[in-house]
Amino acid sequence: MNDFMIEATDVGKAFGAQKALDGVSVAVPRGTVLGLLGHNGAGKTTLVNVLTTMLPPDSGSARVAGFDVVGQAHQVRSRIGLTGQFAAVDEQLSGLDNLVLIARLLGAGPREARARAAELLELFGLRDAAKRPSRTYSGGMRRRLDLAASLVGHPEVIFLDEPTTGLDPASRLGLWEIVQGLVTDGTTVLLTTQYLDEADRLADSITVLAAGRVVASGTSAELKAQVGQRTVTVTMATAADATTALGALERAGMHPVHDAAHHALTAPVTSSRELAVVVRALDEVGLEAAELALGEPTLDDVYLTLAQHAA
Amino acid sequence: MTTAFTTAPTAIPAAPRTRWRGTGFGTQVLVLTQRSLRALVSDPRMIVFSVLQPLVMLTLFSQIFSSIANTPGFPQGVAYIDFLMPAILVNTAMQAALQAGVGLVTDMKNGVLARFRSLPIRLGSVLVARSLSDLVRTAAQLLLMLLFAVLVFGFAPAGGIAGTAAALALALAVGWGLGWIFLAIASWLRNAELMQTVGFLAMFPLMFASSAYVPVSGLPGWLQAVAEVNPLTYAVDAARALALAHPVTGVVGALGTTTVLAAVGWVLAVRGFRRPLSP
Repeated sequence: MNDFMIEATDVGKAFGAQKALDGVSVAVPRGTVLGLLGHNGAGKTTLVNVLTTMLPPDSGSARVAGFDVVGQAHQVRSRIGLTGQFAAVDEQLSGLDNLVLIARLLGAGPREARARAAELLELFGLRDAAKRPSRTYSGGMRRRLDLAASLVGHPEVIFLDEPTTGLDPASRLGLWEIVQGLVTDGTTVLLTTQYLDEADRLADSITVLAAGRVVASGTSAELKAQVGQRTVTVTMATAADATTALGALERAGMHPVHDAAHHALTAPVTSSRELAVVVRALDEVGLEAAELALGEPTLDDVYLTLAQHAA
Repeated sequence: MTTAFTTAPTAIPAAPRTRWRGTGFGTQVLVLTQRSLRALVSDPRMIVFSVLQPLVMLTLFSQIFSSIANTPGFPQGVAYIDFLMPAILVNTAMQAALQAGVGLVTDMKNGVLARFRSLPIRLGSVLVARSLSDLVRTAAQLLLMLLFAVLVFGFAPAGGIAGTAAALALALAVGWGLGWIFLAIASWLRNAELMQTVGFLAMFPLMFASSAYVPVSGLPGWLQAVAEVNPLTYAVDAARALALAHPVTGVVGALGTTTVLAAVGWVLAVRGFRRPLSP
């Protein structure tokens, strides 16, 4: 057995005519974090569902912790933890009872279950709320309880589907620390996110999905290099100007990303000489940029460039 | 919500010192049944409210239709309340069966079901647990109704406590069997409003086109024909015979039908329930 804890090979999944996954392959070594980036609808959650045995793939195969997600679903389930986009907790039950329930279903005796639950409630700062029904929890507390629930069985592989969506900054930082702690202890993590800083901070490697396909993968640094050294951002005075400028820049051979809300266009450039190309292109259509900026690449640029172009 | 996590990440005991190896079907059912009952115990108002509707029916019918006891065709020497109550028990158990389906749909909306799917358990245990906890809830409901009928309306059937207990058990069994049909419908439909509508459309005519409220001989001809083939007539007749200490005929048939319903419902429910939650 090689030491990939998650290994998907050419996974395809369609919902009717809609191809949610179109030949996706990922490989995650033990004790590392894979960040899965992509827009809504890019296929992130579908991939997580396939890898966690929730959905059978139409084609291709996947192994998690060395077991096939279709033929050995039971073995996979006893080794994974899943935190989905919606808190998977029982709102009728208290935080304590939720965790005890999971532990009991995993095979713990009543005392073991209570001990594990208490441990996790402490860890996630929920001890004071342990006996309250979880429906009275705030959104952030509920997500923490959800994450705690996915850790009850000491999983070898953890899937976090947009775990920090809706969390306040402090809780977000706390969750990052928890994930880093888990990885230090040898847990393997697959994390989907729309937050680039989250992927940048946590992920050892990043895979960008768009329209069900892998459009890029590598470390954060590799992806940044792949996208180019710099970007130029042109901000126009009005939305109409921005649209005109978009056409002009495209005719000049550039591939700008249009941020309609700010009348801004961002395009990767290889050298600062291309600034002149931008100015000339705008000049030809009789426009002047309200603001012209040269930026060093961030993961956001990677994301925008790769995901948006492929979609 | 600004409370941060309290402990440094290095404190996480993530190393799998003792990996739990899953547990048997029996334990799964037990743990999950306790879970559903806990919600019931934590909010007993649910039981009280769920008996309100049958209590209203009991009150109305026992008053409005009491003169039926004087009509020809009505069993001699039987008070209307004694005639009515077994039917109310069966009816309430039927409603509870529908509620089992609605409860399952509600559960599917509850995020915890998504979590159960990611656990190494048999999903059938979730259904069995649902069915068992509903059985307990229905039993509590029926006992409450009986108590009310005895204290307020002077329900005192010839069959005495034993006969009444037998009628109660039969109503529970029939409701439990039908509950599996509704669990099956629920696991395919997955829509609470639709469930309620389907349930109402199915139950309401069945209840009235039967021997529940008047003897079948007192119904118009065409309705008599419907009532004769209505399975509910047999359940009601059997429960009534038990309570009134009449010669009992339909019990085996009612229990047999129930077993078939439960078996068919089980197969369909498990198949439907296994389908993924998301499309």
